[in-house]
Amino acid sequence: MSIECVPTICPYCSCGCGINLIVKDGKIIGQEPWKEHPVNEGANCPKGKNAYEFLYSEDRLKNPLIRKNGKLQEASWDEALELIASKLKEAKPEDFGFIASCRNSNEDAYVMQKFTRVVMGTNNIEYCGRLCHSPAAAALIPAMGSGAMQTSQPEIELADCIFLAGVNLRETFPLIARRVLRAKARGAKVIYTDPRKTTTARHLADIHLQLRSGTDAALINAMMSVILAEGLEDKEFIASRTAGFDELRDFLAKVDLKEAAEITGVPVEKIKEAAITYAKAERGCILYDQGMSQHYVGTDNVRNHANLALLCGHAGKPGSGVNSMRGQINGEGSGDMGCLCVFYPGFKRVGEDSAKVFEEAWGVTNLPTKPGITYIDMLYKCPYLYIVGGDPMMVVPDVNNVKKALEQANFLVVQDIFPTEISKLAHVVLPAASWVEREATHTWIDRRVQKIEKLVDPPGEARPDWQIICQLAERMGYKDKFNYSSAGEIFEEIRRCVPQYKGISYQRLKQNVGGIHWPCPSEEHPGTPSMFLEKFNTPDGLGHFQAVEYKPPAEVPDEEYPYFLTTGRSIFHYHTGVMTRRTPKLIDEVPRSYVEVNPEDADKAGVKDKDMVTLTTRRGTMETEARVTDEVPLGLLFVPFHFANACANVLTISALDPSAKCAETKVCAVKMEVKA
Amino acid sequence: MKGDLYIARSTDKAITEKAEYGGAVTALLKFALENKKADAVVAVKARDGNRYDAVPVVITDPADIAETAGSLHCASPNIARFLKEYLDGAAGMKIAVVAKPCDAKAIIELAKRNQINLDNLIIIGLNCTGTLLPAKAKALFREAFEVDPADVIGEDIEDNELIIKLKDGSEKKKDLAELEEKGLGRRDNCRRCETNIPVMADIACGKWGTKDKDSTFIEVCSEKGAQLVEDAVAAGSIKVETPTADAITAREKKDQAARELAQRWQEKDFATLEEMSRDEKFNYWSEQFSHCIKCYGCRDACPICYCQDCFLEADRGLVPPGEVPPHMLFPMVRITHVMDSCVNCGQCQDACPMEIPLSRLIFLLSKKIGAIFNYEPGMDASQMPPLRTVTDKELTVEGVEITL
Repeated sequence: MSIECVPTICPYCSCGCGINLIVKDGKIIGQEPWKEHPVNEGANCPKGKNAYEFLYSEDRLKNPLIRKNGKLQEASWDEALELIASKLKEAKPEDFGFIASCRNSNEDAYVMQKFTRVVMGTNNIEYCGRLCHSPAAAALIPAMGSGAMQTSQPEIELADCIFLAGVNLRETFPLIARRVLRAKARGAKVIYTDPRKTTTARHLADIHLQLRSGTDAALINAMMSVILAEGLEDKEFIASRTAGFDELRDFLAKVDLKEAAEITGVPVEKIKEAAITYAKAERGCILYDQGMSQHYVGTDNVRNHANLALLCGHAGKPGSGVNSMRGQINGEGSGDMGCLCVFYPGFKRVGEDSAKVFEEAWGVTNLPTKPGITYIDMLYKCPYLYIVGGDPMMVVPDVNNVKKALEQANFLVVQDIFPTEISKLAHVVLPAASWVEREATHTWIDRRVQKIEKLVDPPGEARPDWQIICQLAERMGYKDKFNYSSAGEIFEEIRRCVPQYKGISYQRLKQNVGGIHWPCPSEEHPGTPSMFLEKFNTPDGLGHFQAVEYKPPAEVPDEEYPYFLTTGRSIFHYHTGVMTRRTPKLIDEVPRSYVEVNPEDADKAGVKDKDMVTLTTRRGTMETEARVTDEVPLGLLFVPFHFANACANVLTISALDPSAKCAETKVCAVKMEVKA
Repeated sequence: MKGDLYIARSTDKAITEKAEYGGAVTALLKFALENKKADAVVAVKARDGNRYDAVPVVITDPADIAETAGSLHCASPNIARFLKEYLDGAAGMKIAVVAKPCDAKAIIELAKRNQINLDNLIIIGLNCTGTLLPAKAKALFREAFEVDPADVIGEDIEDNELIIKLKDGSEKKKDLAELEEKGLGRRDNCRRCETNIPVMADIACGKWGTKDKDSTFIEVCSEKGAQLVEDAVAAGSIKVETPTADAITAREKKDQAARELAQRWQEKDFATLEEMSRDEKFNYWSEQFSHCIKCYGCRDACPICYCQDCFLEADRGLVPPGEVPPHMLFPMVRITHVMDSCVNCGQCQDACPMEIPLSRLIFLLSKKIGAIFNYEPGMDASQMPPLRTVTDKELTVEGVEITL
């Protein structure tokens, strides 16, 4: 008998918490706290406490499947890869799209973008980061020089004002909520914007600004005008480290607080209190998430929070900044690796120069120099699609339309660990190894690179994602460019191509509990917990103000669709629920979908708690159970997006942010009827 | 026999070079394995040599015992749970387990609940005056001692001072009480712990009462313990001598001093809770439990909790599922189910992502119940927990009241 306590990192969100797994004779039989790990110090959230059960779910994909006579049937790897290779050889570059995942490792993601660019000759490579945090890059690269999180998790404890902008922290980043509690114990104040009175509003926030969904820009403009009126702007910081302040000041001169209060639904006094609290802080820390970015004005929203931070000098210090909270295990890393149609690895913008750099690095010619198309566009426009570790049939707005488009695809490959909604439409389904079934690195929320070791074997014939792509590349005639014998070899190439990772090695990651924060330019460099301490990463080193005009949501309620709809998450589930719905203790907590309805709205509509209701928008209909609660204000309904049998994104609107192409999944107009 | 006292050291040079205090514990473990007194040893080792990352290990090859030699202070693995959960409570094999006082107490509480088979266990108890959480220890070494935590190769707590030994051979020490006033130092529960010598184990081993750090003071606490020591002596694995009267007194004094420090902490920590008015208490604990995110970390870490099908599970219908924070029934049921048997191991609080001062509350309640029923958890496997044995008559005694 062999029984061992082995450390790893939680497979769920982007905190990157440590856990100890108990491995007995090659099988995981339990988990225990890993007290040394600096992110969580031995404590875990409900998902982290139930981290491994999904691995052993009966319905893991174990063999390649090929659609024959309309049905997916087991096939050999040879057969499946041969079929894919022959089909992809037919595809013109612009007809092919690859969608990687926030669940992939860095090594997987790197190989996927390289495959798309080298073998398929296109920049049509994206990942699900497009759907949640693409406004970070669009807004923060011009403002500050990087879309990544600016401070590290532990340093959040240093802040004396924490502004939770559209992030239900207690449910979505519980171990960061702990940092905020620690900061509060030292006197910090917590401001929170959310239309819902969530557990974060009730049990973490000091000032809850319960704004109307999608009115963030108006709120921040009002807060900035208060700060200027009170003379609380950081004049020295503005003078020495920023540009464009005069334009912003002129723009803000026309802000009318009363009008802002009407737009946002937040009383003037509360706006003032929040503005003054944030401005007077020594170290203000903005943490923001999808509540900010999943709007067609997501980029504007993020820009305006950057304006606010620059105005008050709350950037370029540990525990400050405007921090995008990427939600997934590799939300940062898959972007770093270049799984975006506008960036080669290391955020080198697609163009002649970058193509040349990578032609040299990879020993190839004719790399694509024009940006590819973005995630949602690909679903509608690319007849050849390769989708790994994600389910557009669950997360993309207006799912009914997505389905119609995908049913028309010439050839759809889905590579995953479980059957998903989209795998039902696939021509070929490939089984992937997951989490501790392979060796890999990921990059967590605060640019924290950590390594996961292989502890158990994958089920059946499942293989690591990178290996599958390399085997496919080989069959398409590119063996020499994808000739990796291990994840470690890929990581060494990443270090050569991605300057931020140059100093990070497998060896160092093994020795550094908690990993290393990029940028890490050399093996002697300790990594960079906080960015911009000396200057911003912009060409002139300054922070740039970019004034933002408020725009109302793309679709607002009317007589026919009288409620606002917003979507989000529960602490007990994770995204499309593929893992958590297969974890008994989590599904027991929240077994099915629900819609939160304000008691007064419920009364008017004749809806009682636990009634089945039908929700309808201009795009689709779903049925779910009513949960009558004052967590939602009058006129707002909330639906979680974790459930395949009640898919929230059937309802949502495909209004896209013009620069980031992120969709407005956080607001649309809906009607509700009691199910007959 | 039970009650015997020894000064012991290993006879094996390989062990005395690697281990501390003469290597008696390491030698006894090796002897137990080699001579089939135990099928396996459960001990704690520094994973990859990292002092801040201690994990339980199951050893069946005597040659591997050496990797567990030496004491670790930045470590608090859950030994009792490890035995119960992953080794079937020693049901099918004989295990020699190394245990701090709280580990040994938890093992005994689990034995009372038929979760661990004491007949198959030899508990080698280690004296303990407290452990530190790794993250806090590193911060303390950096901030108070101004050293790189990676340079620390040993820690010790002696005469209420925290002593660290560095790579370069030098030592640094600080007054523990002063450090702890500043919020640096041992885990909360350890500060309040009065049990330094694990007399509930089969033998209690420690440095107190020895000189020059070259030997271990052993108190034999059971006939099983006596047999092990006597057999090991007879086999030549350890050599022993009788401690002098001075040595015994010195040991008692050290124990007394550490107990007094613990009592001061108890008074202080409990006073902050006890001095509150009923309303203040209610508000304080309501606020604390409002932080709960229902991770079940406290329950799962609690070595006393053992139900296969816990009443608090979402599918049991007691606590409404899916709510964060959970209904107040959740913490209340948790606490009442264990408060008569708390061994003050602190595992619940270590596991709490919201840092609710659970061990302070549960230990306080346990003390109060213990006073009423004249019961001390974890000391005697034959004494059943009061909430299990309480009679109808006792329940109707007037004037007995426990409040949070």
